[in-house]
Amino acid sequence: MAETATSWLPRGAWAGVAEPGAFGATGEAGIVATLHDGFGLATLIAGPGAAPALSRLVEARLGIALPRTPRIVLGRGHDAIWTGPEQWWLRAAARDGLLPLLDELSAHAAVSDQSHARAALRLSGPRVRDLLAKGVMLDLHPAVFAVGDAAATSIAHVGVQLWRLADGPDGPVFEIMVPRSMAGSFWSWLAASAGAFGCIVADAAK
Amino acid sequence: MRITCPHCGARDAQEFSYLGAADLARPDGMAASEAAMVDYVYLRDNPRGRHRELWYHGAGCRAWLVVGRDTFTHAVISVEPAKRHAGGAA
Repeated sequence: MAETATSWLPRGAWAGVAEPGAFGATGEAGIVATLHDGFGLATLIAGPGAAPALSRLVEARLGIALPRTPRIVLGRGHDAIWTGPEQWWLRAAARDGLLPLLDELSAHAAVSDQSHARAALRLSGPRVRDLLAKGVMLDLHPAVFAVGDAAATSIAHVGVQLWRLADGPDGPVFEIMVPRSMAGSFWSWLAASAGAFGCIVADAAK
Repeated sequence: MRITCPHCGARDAQEFSYLGAADLARPDGMAASEAAMVDYVYLRDNPRGRHRELWYHGAGCRAWLVVGRDTFTHAVISVEPAKRHAGGAA
């Protein structure tokens, strides 16, 4: 009877929080929320005076430049997101192969794997700016917040990173990343705020 | 009140935490009198008008800032990264 079968299973950051489907007003959905999971993520904090060397290494290995202002730089498989002076998120489309890369980058930076520490989603739809206006204190008008702009701010007291991707057929597209332990609180805000516009929840992996 | 973070742009004051006066000079620990240390640690001026203060942009870029502010009108006069001010209370 010494069986120690474990019930531990990998669990996505949105598991038990958000389900694919639809909620809120019927008719054409004003909001499309696409849940992301399985990406790799790490914080890079350049050592004293090491930002240029770190930037050169990232550019040589990944073909992307580390942004010097609050922006996201998209690459093939890896994106760099400004989070503070000489600090960045490095996001990888897949977790495979991330650790050796982080090892290499740690020559010039304090590097911390955060792949499982954030919940991310993409927001689009014709009412997306009306939705974000309910929680974001920034001016997200296209004339002020351009494609590629990023910001660290808070929504409903939850610290978030958000950035704007290239426009889709329904207008602006944003991505938001929140601490995984705050995904439930963030979703409470989103569910309460998006219902009036009608919201479709999709899973990026499906 | 809005503070224009030099890294992030104009943000609502609720994204920041206030520490206090930016220009306190710590007395030399070994030589300082008890009275001088009490003054440094506990006693604060309460100026009406211009004041230089330390603010932390905790909900944004997590940088410490030195904010020049008018305590009477709440007008923010200047904002710069505290990193440029080596030493002092920061």
